[in-house]
Amino acid sequence: MIKNYFKIAWRNLKANRLFSVINILGLSLGLTITILLFLFIRHELSFDEMYAEKENIYRLLTDQESDGGREIAATSPAIAAPMAMDEIPEIKYAARMLQNDFGGTASVRANNENFTEKSFFWVDQELLDIFKVQLVKGQRNNALNRPNTIVLSESAAKKYFGAMDPLGKMIKVDNRYELEVTGVYSDFEANSTLDCGVMASFSTLWFAKKPTWYNLSFETYLLLNPNTDPLAVETKMKELLDKGLEKQDQWYDFRLQPFETIHLHSTQISHSYASNMGDISEVHNLTFLAVLILLIACINYMNLTTAYSQKRSKEVGINKTLGAAKKNLLTRFYMETGVLTAISMGIAVVMAILAIPVFNTVTDQNLNLKLFLKPELLTTFSLIWLVITFVSGSYPALYLSAFSPKTIIQPSYQQGRKNSIIRKSLVVFQFATSVVLIVGVLLIHRQLQFINEQDLGFKPENVMAISTSGIRGAQQTSALVHEFESLTDVKSVSMAQGFPGMSVSGRTLRKKNDGQEGLDINTNVTDSGIIDVLQLKLLAGQNLPAEKQEGDKLVDVILNKKAVDYLGYSPKEAIGKEVHISVTNRIVGVVDDFNFSSLHVPISAYAFHNNTGEPKSYLLVRFRSNGLSKTIAQFENVFQKVAPESSFDYSFLDKNIEKLYKRERRAAQVGIIFCGLAIFVACLGLLGLAAFTAAQRKKEIGIRKVLGASILAISRMLLTDFLKPISVSLAIGFPIAYFLMNRWLQHFAYHIQISWTVFLIAGFSVVLIALVTISFQSIRAATQNPVKSLRTE
Amino acid sequence: MLLQLNNIFKWVNSGGQRIFLLKDINLNIEEGEFISIMGPSGSGKSTLLNVIGMLDGFDEGEYQFLDESVHSLKEKDRANLYKEYIGFVFQSYHLLDDLTVKENLEMPLLYKKFKGSERKAMVADMLDRFNIVGKKDLFPAQLSGGQQQLVGIARALISSPKLILADEPTGNLNSKQGEEIMQLFKQLNDEGVTIIQVTHSEKNAAYGSRIINLLDGRMI
Repeated sequence: MIKNYFKIAWRNLKANRLFSVINILGLSLGLTITILLFLFIRHELSFDEMYAEKENIYRLLTDQESDGGREIAATSPAIAAPMAMDEIPEIKYAARMLQNDFGGTASVRANNENFTEKSFFWVDQELLDIFKVQLVKGQRNNALNRPNTIVLSESAAKKYFGAMDPLGKMIKVDNRYELEVTGVYSDFEANSTLDCGVMASFSTLWFAKKPTWYNLSFETYLLLNPNTDPLAVETKMKELLDKGLEKQDQWYDFRLQPFETIHLHSTQISHSYASNMGDISEVHNLTFLAVLILLIACINYMNLTTAYSQKRSKEVGINKTLGAAKKNLLTRFYMETGVLTAISMGIAVVMAILAIPVFNTVTDQNLNLKLFLKPELLTTFSLIWLVITFVSGSYPALYLSAFSPKTIIQPSYQQGRKNSIIRKSLVVFQFATSVVLIVGVLLIHRQLQFINEQDLGFKPENVMAISTSGIRGAQQTSALVHEFESLTDVKSVSMAQGFPGMSVSGRTLRKKNDGQEGLDINTNVTDSGIIDVLQLKLLAGQNLPAEKQEGDKLVDVILNKKAVDYLGYSPKEAIGKEVHISVTNRIVGVVDDFNFSSLHVPISAYAFHNNTGEPKSYLLVRFRSNGLSKTIAQFENVFQKVAPESSFDYSFLDKNIEKLYKRERRAAQVGIIFCGLAIFVACLGLLGLAAFTAAQRKKEIGIRKVLGASILAISRMLLTDFLKPISVSLAIGFPIAYFLMNRWLQHFAYHIQISWTVFLIAGFSVVLIALVTISFQSIRAATQNPVKSLRTE
Repeated sequence: MLLQLNNIFKWVNSGGQRIFLLKDINLNIEEGEFISIMGPSGSGKSTLLNVIGMLDGFDEGEYQFLDESVHSLKEKDRANLYKEYIGFVFQSYHLLDDLTVKENLEMPLLYKKFKGSERKAMVADMLDRFNIVGKKDLFPAQLSGGQQQLVGIARALISSPKLILADEPTGNLNSKQGEEIMQLFKQLNDEGVTIIQVTHSEKNAAYGSRIINLLDGRMI
């Protein structure tokens, strides 16, 4: 019997080619996306599951408060880890971690060659213990015990030393530290939050010798003893803080974040060194979208199968007079759906495998083909197959198998209106979804364009930032500046601690050093070139002085308008006034506000100053653009002439700023692809529906033509029949789209207004797509010879 | 006695009026009879056939089929009853388009859960008897109208029903094909099968042992 059903199902597929192609295409597209997203979601959820003691690992956060608001940072003071380990017995290990140059790159000289290491971390020995880092060479329990030691990942070892044994070799970092290689560890897996290219011993650093409560630049990881209450540990950490800092000086508090939540639940936490971050809401959104597309494909199936019921009703009737029970017919229709779904599933798996590289590029992931080999995937696929078969097969199966056998003896028997209403609401659902997606994609696109065209208050184009972390001494620095200044392609240069788009030092701005709450301010050490290089708008005063007067102890500072507003001065009044930012500063200039961070957040206070406490790690160069590769080559030449032992590491300001919107861009790309596919699948359904409606109404059309209806009139009749549900979809889709997109735009401090033109475009394109899809079928039906259609009965 | 209809009424309500499709039908049919139902269009021929075939219900009256009271049976038991004892032949053949001749014949047996070997034997037997062995792998669309109706009758007969209901079996056929089919019915009836046919043609009706005339739902 089963064999027989299978045979019938197969013949049915072959006999109704259009129907089968539309269904298989729709379902396999939907399933391809589902498979890809399933792999993606699995990958996201699998983060950090390889660490044996993951449930006992915590990250120490600091909850910082100031006039500017509240901020939770992933970084904490360097003193916390050693003190915690000494004084809190529940803590087995505590380890600090600092990316070189506070999140920058490192210039590495190994084996007489220069390398730029993007992922250079200073860590405590305990970090190796907490995460049980697998060392393939060297001893894990003492690899980073001493200062001036370093362990390399296998890929870094290969990069620096090739086939040579790196153990015992010396590496020079930033022209400053001589480090001995004491171990090699296997690379961290793709789904590990911890992702260090190399790890050098934290004790090498000056910070380790004199740890303070003030500098919050270090990530701290804690391994608690099993069955410890993290809240108790958090309280004890706070008690430690109370011992270290007077209550009134505490501008931050400690929090413990479970390690397992770091990957997906850290979007609100700033200053993390981890680069491999996910977002649980993205996982949710994508899951939702995948289900939606699959649902659209299922609806196609339901629609087409029931649209086909005229032919089917006869078949059901015959089978029932031949003795078929309802059960038999149900099995049969489920079987048909099952066969079709299985074929689609097969195609989808192949398509997913082919699409993985594209998917990886678009979503910036590294999904691996190996994921397909896992046995659990087979179970999942079978489960998806079952669910799809059930979801899309139930309505047709129940509907069709209920036909009465008498329909075949009285063929004039009319089908109920109920069926057509259900079918129409399914079409409405599909198109409402498409409308929401189109509006969404349009608005995301417009917002990103708005960001690109937004006047940032400075000009990031044609500015190169060259890392100078490998340059030592004032002499070499001024030589470098001088060399660059003399190039004809260079307009202006400036040495700076950082540049817009990257975070710099966070301090507090006060009128006087009176211990009052102040305003959070970003401070950036730089020199007299900065206004020219960034092309900031000077509102009052002048640049930082090129040379410091003999005996002048005050720090010169240029504030932005926000900072001056806080102080209550007009730009003109502010010049010459003294303010307190860690030390006493003299305001020499005021610049207009500029977006030094992403447009997600409003502009806050910013200061350029010439205090010498922090290193100026970047040479910013504004150049004339005539042939980028030529410029880069020339700059590299000059740089290597001055600093032969450092690697030439550069980036462009505009590119760095683009990176701030990487997530949005990615969302837009995924959105556009999804939207396109959803609309395509929905159109497939509409095409099929149009074809079958035309077929179903063949007789009616024939009669109308005999009575004198023109081709135009009939085409119009068929088209308006479809445009009605589409207008309903627009009416439903628009408010939903408005609501959702309004919410999304709130994530940006600077965003576009939702304009009615977006809805006009979306509505117009949906109607157009639908028209193109159905007109072919309608016109064909209308032009047919009525003799043909009337003869069929 | 095979079946007995007593005071059968069937109506529909339309625009506040009751329109009678069948009015006070009383009918006794013995096993082995060959009955022709005649009457103009709309006289209720097909409706009567549907009621006898249990595909359609009725509003008043009693219906005895063998020893069962059809009017008091549940839908499902009624279906089981007609599946067991009645074979249907249609004007437009109603073969399953996607199945071959052989598979069309096999279908009723599948629903009655015959074993594979039995099914094969019965299908082969039927193909032999109707002389259509050569056509067994063809699809309905590849056959002439007469041949399709032959398959239709063979399919109706394969599970050895007691009663064959035929709704204008020759309506779509030319006169020669029609005559052949009627000959076949005659022969089947001689072999003991009870047949009730609906027909427009006096000539075809003459093959039967008894003629029932209907007009506006009444027997006359």
